[in-house]
Amino acid sequence: MGGEYVGREAPGLQRGGMAVLDSAGTVTWIDEAWTAIDDEGGLPRAPIGTNLLLAYRGYDDPRAQAVANAIDAVFQGKATYFEIEHRVDRQSGRSFLTSVAGLRGDGAGAIVIHSVVGGSAAPNPLRSMDVRSTNAKIRDGIERLTPREREVLDLMALGLDNRAIAARLAIQYTTVRGHVRSVIEKLGARSRLEAVARAYQMGLVPT
Amino acid sequence: MTQVRFSTNERQVSAPSHFALVHYGEGELRESLVDFLGPALDDPKQGIYLCGPPGWGSRLLGYLETSLGRDLRAEVAERRIILGQGDPDVDQQLQNLLDPVRELCERGFSPVRVVGPADWDVPGYAAPEDFLWYESRVLPGIQGLPVAIMCAYDAARLPASALLYGALETHSHTLINGVLRESPSFISADDYLRTRLIHLPWLEPGERRDVSST
Repeated sequence: MGGEYVGREAPGLQRGGMAVLDSAGTVTWIDEAWTAIDDEGGLPRAPIGTNLLLAYRGYDDPRAQAVANAIDAVFQGKATYFEIEHRVDRQSGRSFLTSVAGLRGDGAGAIVIHSVVGGSAAPNPLRSMDVRSTNAKIRDGIERLTPREREVLDLMALGLDNRAIAARLAIQYTTVRGHVRSVIEKLGARSRLEAVARAYQMGLVPT
Repeated sequence: MTQVRFSTNERQVSAPSHFALVHYGEGELRESLVDFLGPALDDPKQGIYLCGPPGWGSRLLGYLETSLGRDLRAEVAERRIILGQGDPDVDQQLQNLLDPVRELCERGFSPVRVVGPADWDVPGYAAPEDFLWYESRVLPGIQGLPVAIMCAYDAARLPASALLYGALETHSHTLINGVLRESPSFISADDYLRTRLIHLPWLEPGERRDVSST
């Protein structure tokens, strides 16, 4: 997973926190116990009640610094709202900065930082059914790929653009375009990169 | 290595370069556009390519003309300024960028300055994951060329996913609040697909395609 940083847990970041930025640029940290149920894992969230910016500045890690810069931008009214999920894997003890989300506003907004501590969420049976159904369709699509389309997919998975693929396979650019469209369609993807992601997920190409 | 200077202060970037402008609203975009492109408009040896989602090439030209009070139709007619646009087919979008840039370089313009606003999950434009792939392929595509590309990310309009994955991770430098600096989150094109793109949250099996709140 991208965006990970390892072994630099700050105790304060084991829990979530919330600060509100009003339109005058004033930041109010909410220190009262604030709990909510994480809709993914049913895990409680609670405030850290500390200066989050300083906490992230304290990491000797470029990603944490980027987060601090983002928070700083919110404080300065240059950006709006960021939500950062800081996930800790129970088994490995590794922590992951998994996402940053934003909302728009007129210079006002809130910062919500929460951590998910203690491992993965309970499986969602409906989601599992969706995944099985989707995987079956992808497998069906894979079986319908021609040998040439498989070659093209392998090169797409290396990140090559169509001209580079054409040069590598010594075929016409327009022919490659046709193969790429066919691969995307057969894998039931909406985009080039979704097709590539599915190929990796199904083990079609080595990670 | 070619240095590309801005209008104001001592700011400059080395070419080739691909940096992200993170701005707040249209006003800041206009200011940054003039700051970055101003020196090229006054120097006939320099070329300009204006691109972005459909319609943005002309829109950027309009911003320049109204901000500077200049008529730039002659520069467009002689193709010293080229207007282009993105494409729903992301590979075509990449070629739409690289072909005019190479044309300007081959015709002797140096440096060539490019501006293109980013968009995210809108109809008629590349899907977000494809757009990120495109962004990651830009710098390898201009290697060895005297080209500086400024991608504009509007923090007032775009979700933070676009800012985090796009502006911060696919550009070696960022220009935020007038400060140009290296992006600590930059991931090189060689690593980007395997370390980021195939792990995007909305591409995980069974995930909803909600790309604005991940």
